[in-house]
Amino acid sequence: MADVKQKPFITIGRQLITPLLAIATAMLITVPIIGFTLNWDWAKVAVTYGGLLDGALFKQYAFANTLVSAIPLMFTGLALALGFRTGVFNIGASGQFLMGATCAVFVGYAIPLPPLIHPLVALIAGAIGGGLWGAIPGFLKARFGSHEVINTIMLNYLAFFLQDWLVKNPMKDPSPTIVRTPEILATAIIPRFYDRLHWGLAIALMAAYGVGWLLSKTTFGFELRTVGSSPEAARYAGMKIGRLTVLSLTLSGALAGLGGAVQILGVDRAMPVLYSSDYGFDAIPVALLGQNQPIGVLLAAVLFGALRNGSDVMQLRSGGAVSKEVIFIVQAVILLFVAAPAIVRWIYRLKLPKSQLETAPLTRGWG
Amino acid sequence: MTKKIHLISTVLSLPLLALAACTPSTPSASTSPAAEKQSVGVVLDTGGENDKSFNEYTIKGAKAGADAAGLGFAYVASAGSSDYEKNIETQISEGADLIVTVGFLMGDATAAMAKKYPDTKFVIIDYAYAPGAEGVDPYTTELKNVTSLMFAEDQAGYLAGVLAGCVSEAGKVATVSGMEIPPVQRYVQGFQAGAKSVNPSIVTLNQYIPDFNDPATGKSVGQSFISQGADIIFAVGGNTGNGGLLAAKEAGKMGIGVDVDQYLTYPEVKDSLLTSATKNIDVATTNAIQEFAAGQLKPGIELATIASGGVGLAPYHDAESKVSQECKAKVTSAQAAIKADPKITGVK
Repeated sequence: MADVKQKPFITIGRQLITPLLAIATAMLITVPIIGFTLNWDWAKVAVTYGGLLDGALFKQYAFANTLVSAIPLMFTGLALALGFRTGVFNIGASGQFLMGATCAVFVGYAIPLPPLIHPLVALIAGAIGGGLWGAIPGFLKARFGSHEVINTIMLNYLAFFLQDWLVKNPMKDPSPTIVRTPEILATAIIPRFYDRLHWGLAIALMAAYGVGWLLSKTTFGFELRTVGSSPEAARYAGMKIGRLTVLSLTLSGALAGLGGAVQILGVDRAMPVLYSSDYGFDAIPVALLGQNQPIGVLLAAVLFGALRNGSDVMQLRSGGAVSKEVIFIVQAVILLFVAAPAIVRWIYRLKLPKSQLETAPLTRGWG
Repeated sequence: MTKKIHLISTVLSLPLLALAACTPSTPSASTSPAAEKQSVGVVLDTGGENDKSFNEYTIKGAKAGADAAGLGFAYVASAGSSDYEKNIETQISEGADLIVTVGFLMGDATAAMAKKYPDTKFVIIDYAYAPGAEGVDPYTTELKNVTSLMFAEDQAGYLAGVLAGCVSEAGKVATVSGMEIPPVQRYVQGFQAGAKSVNPSIVTLNQYIPDFNDPATGKSVGQSFISQGADIIFAVGGNTGNGGLLAAKEAGKMGIGVDVDQYLTYPEVKDSLLTSATKNIDVATTNAIQEFAAGQLKPGIELATIASGGVGLAPYHDAESKVSQECKAKVTSAQAAIKADPKITGVK
């Protein structure tokens, strides 16, 4: 870490101030919008915001559901953060998530294994599936210099249609009407410990710790980061840039794939067609809001999970007048502010700390 | 670096603390007093509220039914398939007494929640639960609180077939079909029986395409049928079928839409659309909610038919002048014939 020598609390405070102000500003912006929709009836506005809070945190099981929604975002957010820290912009987390889910569900229903070993093998299969899906654009970038943004987006579509075909054909449950894979065997299930909340949470926390450890504590992580921040220096130091690029996208893909596996084994237990894969795109603001730090990503994922769940109750309590899509405004404004922190600093007249002129760029540009 | 570890352990323990804090708090809203008015909660699948199809018409019908019966009404759209169960549960905890789910994708989630909340009533659109292993009817055992709204697609298809058989000059009509699942099969069989009822020598062509979202294949299948001489295309496969309608329009032939009035939902082909064989999802949903309000909603499969107004043909719109009085009369008399004897469609 470049800024380790500073006083820890000041550093943390500085890191927190932009995201916190971004969140606060985004929430403030919704007030006139919701007020307008409800004809400035402030009692209703209060009920609506109460619904948001209740649904996100305070209702029975609400926080558990928020965490359940946050878990897949934790994985894809970590995948993106790892990518950003190592100089690749992995927009393919959706596809990698889907491939991980597909591999995991196959191991889950088709290969009988003893308990404990079964979910473990399915998780590994998911990580491998996602990792391979990430390795492809990594290889294309290292070998031919084609940009990973293009290739990961392309691979999202490939993953989507491959999954669609698999679920409709070889992996289809023979039962007559529903188009989905068979349910995974009971031995493969990641158990739930509180309402819908499952032990995938622990796996996500371990993954976050692992990412932090890898990037900050190992030579390999140092090499990855160096290639990200300064490829010329890395080349001069004799690092194998191509190999490291492939590995960073592979690891990023493996994290997203692991997320898909956890979602299947912990929540869905079978994979339908059109299996949801927004998690890869929501991961971009999650990673940026989390400042690409593992802990930050975890917290940002919880925030997004809370918004997602709270918005349902918000819509219900407002009698349908306030659409849950309002939270997309919140997410978009947050994204705008964390991607361009200068805006937040300008609004709140914050001074740029002398010591840090925004460390390493998120990604290198084109070419 | 110890600060890092501190932070991590803090984060690790946060959720547990919060859980502990949450558990005993706020009693759920479902225990509302009986005096409060009852409420209908709709949970949509991932198609969203403006899908011009099942979701949209379910909301429309549910709202009309709830308004007419003086019930509360609210809906939630699902962001992903992982959210179906959670959204149903949210509706229940927010006070819904009747849950309406849009079937097909939500069959599993609806069954799971119906078992968990036996005191709440459920209506699922267009999805029926198959009998268990020993032929036990699930609606008499574990799904006593579930009503499936099903549609007699064969009857709507039969009317479309009567019209097509009468209008066709080539003596050849075709169906561009989606996946070979029971509702699609019923449409097709009804259509063929209807066409043969007015013209026993008519040739019927059909192709199932294992996808509801493949308009390119639908179009090429439609083109191939037209080159074989068909002059009416009945499109029974969602977006795939739309490809067949497009093929008919481009070749100057006529098409018949499906499920909803596609004159309104797919205006690109309205010039060449005779009519649509419709499932009146809104009407069936409204009826079910009024039965619920009157305490008469029964578990099991409720079949919407021509007699109940739940299926039928959409207006002719621009084709009004192209369809002869004779053919219109044949459709009208076929309606009466089906009401008198539903078995004439050839589908059980």
